[in-house]
Amino acid sequence: MPQPLNPKDQSLFRQVVRNFELKQYKKGIKTADQVLKKNPNHGDTQAMKALILSHLGQSEEAFALGKEALRNDMKSHITWHVYGLLYRQEKNYEEAIKAYRFALRIEPESAPIQRDLALLQMQMRDFQGYITSRTAMLQAHPALRQNWTALAIAHHLSGDLEEAEKVLTTYEETLKGTPSVSNMEHSEATLYKNTIIAETGNLERALEHLEKYGYRCTDVLAVMEMKADYLLRLGRKSEAEQAYTALLERNPENSIYYDGLIKAKGVAEDDHKALKALYDEWVEKNPRGDSARRIPLDFLEGEDFKQAVDAYLQRMLKKGVPSLFANIKSLYSNPSKRDVVQALVEGYVAGNAAQANGSSESKDNEFLVSSYYFLAQHYNYELSRDLTKAMEYVDKAIELSPKSVEYQLTKARTWKHYGNTIKAAEEMEKARLLDEKDRYINTKAAKYQLRNNENDKALENMSKFTRNETVGGAMGDLHEMQCVWYLTEDGEAYLRQKKLALALKRFHGVFNIFDTWQEDQFDFHSFSLRKGMIRAYVDMVRWEDRLREHPFYTRMAVSAIKAYLLLHDQPDLAYGPIADGAEGLNDEERKKALKKAKREQQRLEKVEADKREARKAAAANAKSIDGEVKKEDSDPLGNTLVQTKEPLKDAMKFLTPLLNLDSQNIEAQTLGFEVYFRRNKHVLAVKCLAAAHAIDPSNPTLHLQLLQFRKALDTPSEPLDPKIAEVVNAEFEKLFPKSQTLEEFNDSFLTANKNSALHVQAALSGRQFLNKDSATQNEKDLLATLDSVDIMMSEAMAGLDLLNKWGSDKAAYAEKALKKWPESSLFKLD
Amino acid sequence: MVDIVPLSSYPSYIDLLPSIQTCNITNLPENYFLKYYLYHALTWPQLSFVAVVRPKGGYKAGGGKAGGDLSGQYPKVVGYVLAKMEEEPTDGMQHGHITSLSVMRTHRRLGIAERLMRMSQRAMAESHRANYVSLHVRVSNTAALRLYRDTLGFEVEKIESKYYADGEDAYAMRLNLQTMWLDWKAIEARDKENEKTDEDQDEGEAVGELGKKDDSKDQERMVKVKVGRGLGVGDLVERNESQQS
Repeated sequence: MPQPLNPKDQSLFRQVVRNFELKQYKKGIKTADQVLKKNPNHGDTQAMKALILSHLGQSEEAFALGKEALRNDMKSHITWHVYGLLYRQEKNYEEAIKAYRFALRIEPESAPIQRDLALLQMQMRDFQGYITSRTAMLQAHPALRQNWTALAIAHHLSGDLEEAEKVLTTYEETLKGTPSVSNMEHSEATLYKNTIIAETGNLERALEHLEKYGYRCTDVLAVMEMKADYLLRLGRKSEAEQAYTALLERNPENSIYYDGLIKAKGVAEDDHKALKALYDEWVEKNPRGDSARRIPLDFLEGEDFKQAVDAYLQRMLKKGVPSLFANIKSLYSNPSKRDVVQALVEGYVAGNAAQANGSSESKDNEFLVSSYYFLAQHYNYELSRDLTKAMEYVDKAIELSPKSVEYQLTKARTWKHYGNTIKAAEEMEKARLLDEKDRYINTKAAKYQLRNNENDKALENMSKFTRNETVGGAMGDLHEMQCVWYLTEDGEAYLRQKKLALALKRFHGVFNIFDTWQEDQFDFHSFSLRKGMIRAYVDMVRWEDRLREHPFYTRMAVSAIKAYLLLHDQPDLAYGPIADGAEGLNDEERKKALKKAKREQQRLEKVEADKREARKAAAANAKSIDGEVKKEDSDPLGNTLVQTKEPLKDAMKFLTPLLNLDSQNIEAQTLGFEVYFRRNKHVLAVKCLAAAHAIDPSNPTLHLQLLQFRKALDTPSEPLDPKIAEVVNAEFEKLFPKSQTLEEFNDSFLTANKNSALHVQAALSGRQFLNKDSATQNEKDLLATLDSVDIMMSEAMAGLDLLNKWGSDKAAYAEKALKKWPESSLFKLD
Repeated sequence: MVDIVPLSSYPSYIDLLPSIQTCNITNLPENYFLKYYLYHALTWPQLSFVAVVRPKGGYKAGGGKAGGDLSGQYPKVVGYVLAKMEEEPTDGMQHGHITSLSVMRTHRRLGIAERLMRMSQRAMAESHRANYVSLHVRVSNTAALRLYRDTLGFEVEKIESKYYADGEDAYAMRLNLQTMWLDWKAIEARDKENEKTDEDQDEGEAVGELGKKDDSKDQERMVKVKVGRGLGVGDLVERNESQQS
């Protein structure tokens, strides 16, 4: 049983609480120790001390003390509450909720405990629990608008729109008179209610509500957007027309408004004349705008297109707008438009433009150099590529304007498209040197270096803009600033080099950033209620639920899974990259290679440790900006990650969100198969195959997987559980009927897809898989794929990888590829 | 082709935030945690705008919106303006501030930055009755200076010595926004009219006091946020009140 404190100690205890609130942690501990000296088993004081310790980052000590506090005083809401807070700090929300519930049972009237519980329920999306908590909080303080809004949010997010609206209305009815226009909370709550009504699908009522109250909502643009949207969806066309016109008058650079206006006016999609006239009106209204000039190029055809694009191009070239090509290239999916643009700009260069232009020489010069630049980009672009011409034009542009970053950048790009990553990185570095204070070009230079597997050089470049005194140096700062693109590219470069430790390190770095982003919402559960900006808050909550659907996540996760698969298949890579063809080595050679790799790994660890020491020494004097103590990473090289015993299990962490949120991505499904297949999870494996099959039944990767799976089912290494076998066979029969033999299946795939290099490669892999003796023929057929005029460099690269996998000699293939792409650096064997 | 759209009002494209962050760190030395962007988007959802590349063939019809909806489609972000209201104005004047603005080098001179600024300025005046908008610009950044001063009409208020981490000075600039204020008198007149009709209908309902300052606003605790690298995201965390028992 807890002993009561004497009055003096009681006041000291209150001081501890105050110290904690004011973040005077050291003082707080001192005061707590004073109390504990006389009352060593005082649970509440121990709990407070534990809480302070956890805020000082000493979580182990905090937990030990928190537990002791609980043992000493099981009936105190403080000890339970703190126990929950400790779990919360550790992000173990489920345990935290349990502890809060105990605390609340002891002290049902405690607002702070109730509030902390509610926040966690929201974070965990326990909407029913949240409704209960918010109802209790509303009953305790019904005068506060926030409490009503919060309950409405609870119902809204749980899917009960009707109840949500009712709660908001009930509060509104308690208002005496209309709140002032300056009351933003009211203005926002009105619009929030309107979106709830609209979500019920009853747009009539939403519109009516908006027309009654919208005039006094100060988010004017939102009101206009909502109104236009409702009117159009309700088919009230002439009013919708007015609404979209009003929106365009505010912002003529939004194609969605034009789309709305056209629908409202009922202009037919193929009535190009009427459409052009409509856009011309807006050009007249906004002579400096771009959208109304640019959009008609999408639908105009023939002579009309030619005239319009001619005017557009000349105007922009005269102004020397560097982004002209970026704005034009989407037209090229139509080959005739592409050809018209090409002929026009070639014409300008040939002299047509000189007379049209007239005026001063320097202007002519700018027009000419802009045209060269345009053509350089044009011939670089994949739908109009001619790299010889691209290089010619970019050199001409550089000759006229040697200091231009853009032109030099385009030269580097040309080398990239040649497949020469070395020259590309070199030329981009030259572009960077033309403007060292510009971060955009610095970014590009670093990216090109990463594409050339020059991780250290790239970081050196990045470090010109990072805060290098951060713990972990430039790389530490890139993590802290959540520079996802860099970490992903860096990891991919390491993966290409088979440096799996560092590759995994970077991918986990990005994974953790996504965790942080998910965690970021926590504070807004209370913050946004105070601010009253409810619509944005609700959108944020919904977005957080699909956070990992983002392409940034997909790209990183795909690479991480590939790294883990490679590690599973070649466990020796845990000790560092071992030269290609390690599979072909005999035991003796393999041991030697491993030893060498291990030595290299140790050397790198030593280098990293030295760097850390140097940073520590340098940072000793420097003050940390936010005062937070940041620990050095204990595994900066990823060696702990790579030495995992269960790479496939680790891969699941990346795979699960990918399959849940990006299920229409065929690469996610085929990778899912690779992981499940290796883990002998047949049901899940066949599920991935079926999903991939539904997306693209003739996908080359899928084809090979179907063969592998069929063979595994035909000749299982250990018998499947009959129940599982039944499910799997039934599902698989739909993808690969038993009536077809493996060979037939493979041959018909080859016949059906013989014009696509990737498909042929898959079929040859299939043949190799089914019959090792076919190797010579497969190598010959693979070589023949290079004769195709359509084969792309990336596809040829995939062919080279295949030879690697088969353990075949690569010389002849590489030589032939090099003849086809003489500028490329990708086919040079070391 | 580039569209200028709101970040987090209606429609709300809050899923563009990671790409906005990437756009920022690609172009500028002053970078922020995603939480700082969220903080802007959720505190002043009316003020920030994004420039995205319209995908070939337009946006998929989604979210039920009539004109098309780009959420969940992750178009390329080529520019953004991140804006806020000054929370503790030293001069006591309610005003807006541009936290960050950038446009990718590949999309310069299309008027994107100007359009982003104009959208934000107008929203500051309408939604928050901002007296003016302020911003900082590097003294060496002549292109930006031309935009703010010559195109948008900003004036240099003063030079802030060594404002940037690398030691460069900044022009502190501002632009008056009062001309774009909403006519609150007209709104209040309409309020009165509405109340009158309501009164006629319901008979005898009490008429509220117009123009009474809403005091719940004053109770709101100010949250202090540092600018730039310090970020102050930690300060967003509320003071823990759980131990007041």
